[in-house]
Amino acid sequence: MNLRLFVLVRSVQILITFFIIMTLLFVLFRLAPGDPVAFLTDPQMTEEEVALLSQQFGLDQPLHRQYLLYVWNFIRGEFGISFYYHRPVVEILKDRLPKTALLFTTATILYAFAGITWGKILAWKRGSLLDTSVSLFGLLTHTFFLPWLALILIWIFAYHLGWFPLNAMISPEIWLDPESGWLRKGLDILHHMVLPLAVLFLTHFGGYTLVMRSTMLETLREDYILTARAKGLPEKVIRNRHAAPNAALPVVTSLGLSLAFSINGGAITETIFSWPGLGRELVFSVSNSDYPLAQASFLLIAAFVLVSNLIVDIIYAYLDPRIRY
Amino acid sequence: MSSREGKRTNSSKPRHRAFPRTGIRWLRHLEENWRIYRSNPMGMAGLVLLALFGLMALASFIPPLIDPIYDPMSGVDPIIDTSTGPSWRHWLGTDFMGRDIFSQLLTGARVAFMIGISAAFMAVAIGTLVGMTAGYFGRTVDTLLMRLADIIMVLPGLLVILILSSVVGRLSIWNLVIIIALFKWAGVSRVIRAQTLSLSVRPYIEAARVAGASHARILFRHILPNVLPLSFLYMTFGVTSAILIEAALSFLGFGDPSTVSWGMMLQWVWKTGHMFKAPYWLIPPGVCISLITLSFYLVGRALDEVLNPRLRKEVLEQ
Repeated sequence: MNLRLFVLVRSVQILITFFIIMTLLFVLFRLAPGDPVAFLTDPQMTEEEVALLSQQFGLDQPLHRQYLLYVWNFIRGEFGISFYYHRPVVEILKDRLPKTALLFTTATILYAFAGITWGKILAWKRGSLLDTSVSLFGLLTHTFFLPWLALILIWIFAYHLGWFPLNAMISPEIWLDPESGWLRKGLDILHHMVLPLAVLFLTHFGGYTLVMRSTMLETLREDYILTARAKGLPEKVIRNRHAAPNAALPVVTSLGLSLAFSINGGAITETIFSWPGLGRELVFSVSNSDYPLAQASFLLIAAFVLVSNLIVDIIYAYLDPRIRY
Repeated sequence: MSSREGKRTNSSKPRHRAFPRTGIRWLRHLEENWRIYRSNPMGMAGLVLLALFGLMALASFIPPLIDPIYDPMSGVDPIIDTSTGPSWRHWLGTDFMGRDIFSQLLTGARVAFMIGISAAFMAVAIGTLVGMTAGYFGRTVDTLLMRLADIIMVLPGLLVILILSSVVGRLSIWNLVIIIALFKWAGVSRVIRAQTLSLSVRPYIEAARVAGASHARILFRHILPNVLPLSFLYMTFGVTSAILIEAALSFLGFGDPSTVSWGMMLQWVWKTGHMFKAPYWLIPPGVCISLITLSFYLVGRALDEVLNPRLRKEVLEQ
């Protein structure tokens, strides 16, 4: 019951935050120099199309009406028409969101688990050769410049060794072949996903490993660990059941805090690997001055980050019974 | 009259003893802290790396003086019009227009320091002010400022800057610095607020208040000196993230076109299709960005240890 209340309060907070972000975006685009019609209409559009869009977004009306319409359009999922694709923005985003979610969620789960597991082991064996080498490796990869790491990995594993495809999410020849079943298609996506995942994994897991390692070292000094030892519990039980869950809490917090930062990296990764997700679409639409698509994909990414934050909060509340309203 | 004067000097003497020669005490502190810092080999490695990058930044003024063909932006070698590998004439080779990669790399160090330090300084200044205000005044001020900080912290900074540049066009390097600072103060303000909260209930603050000190005086004379070390620590972390944001933005093609930064160099390699052909061009800028990040990170962690004795114990235990 308490947990439910906590989730409810956090959801309301997140909705308010999203609303503020939406408003800021509206202000940004309306205060910008130039004609607001230019942000919504393409020079190539016909007169009727321009008139229709102007009416739909209320560009002929006062600013407060425009704002209300903007919110209403958002709720209805009406984002206008992409200049570049000449298709409704919402259709494009519907196609892109699952692809971003697939890549980003898989990566996040992988590096969070790897970080917690490695941090636990390293703290347990502190000072050993394993500790020093993995810590150093994590520190180095953590500070790698993400786009550069991506280019280097493509250069080595895709270009020289040819183990993985250079870019994109699927191979058209497999997907157009009516013979190929879902297993072959799934493996094809996985094959394309290895390098982008590796980039996100390598640039993130070190940070979590180091955080987990230091909180685990702190936890191991607690009295209750000594008690567990005195009771004669097996080492593995002390490590995995007594120490690790408590030590992992700050890691979950930092996971939530760095989601916004990680999505930046996700967008860059998508762009380099031509992964057809939201981040790449945002980068593309900004360079093509495709304003409706840019605005909508930005809002969707913001919503994605907020919802992920909510999920992290719920996980945290679930792990730590003290967090309740 | 004379007895009065004597009294006055008498009364001022014990005050002197209570705070003996502040300047020198401060120096002794510095010496002590330096001793702790020096005992951390990783921190020292970071400092050495930073010194090397500093040398690179200084050396960036030299190549254009030797010959205008070494100018990182406009210098084009008359006998080269495409990317060539390392040679005596061009130590790291040339880029797609025949510009010298080595001198671009040196200039990149200067640009990185410029962007990193100025953006981090601004971010930390704003964050410290906001954090102190929120922590000291509490209530509505606190709630409002911290909600604002929360909103900024959940925004993906790089993507917001992308959206901004889609509206106002390409950002110049100094506009970029200001915008980065506007995004990076939030994290600092949270830490400073927590510190201020714990400071503002201490007896000496109450004593100052009873003695009639104004809010401004308490904030700037009594609280600020105690949160400044923490601000300084966060500045080292802020420098890294500012450099990384600029590099990523330039890499994606939204950087200031009149500046050579390491991110810009990578964008050129990538966009001109040289990434499989010219490792001499692909590798150096990435190594530099990664190493400068690493060195600021190492320095930050070592400083953290100096400021935070609890962390030190852990190191000794190992």
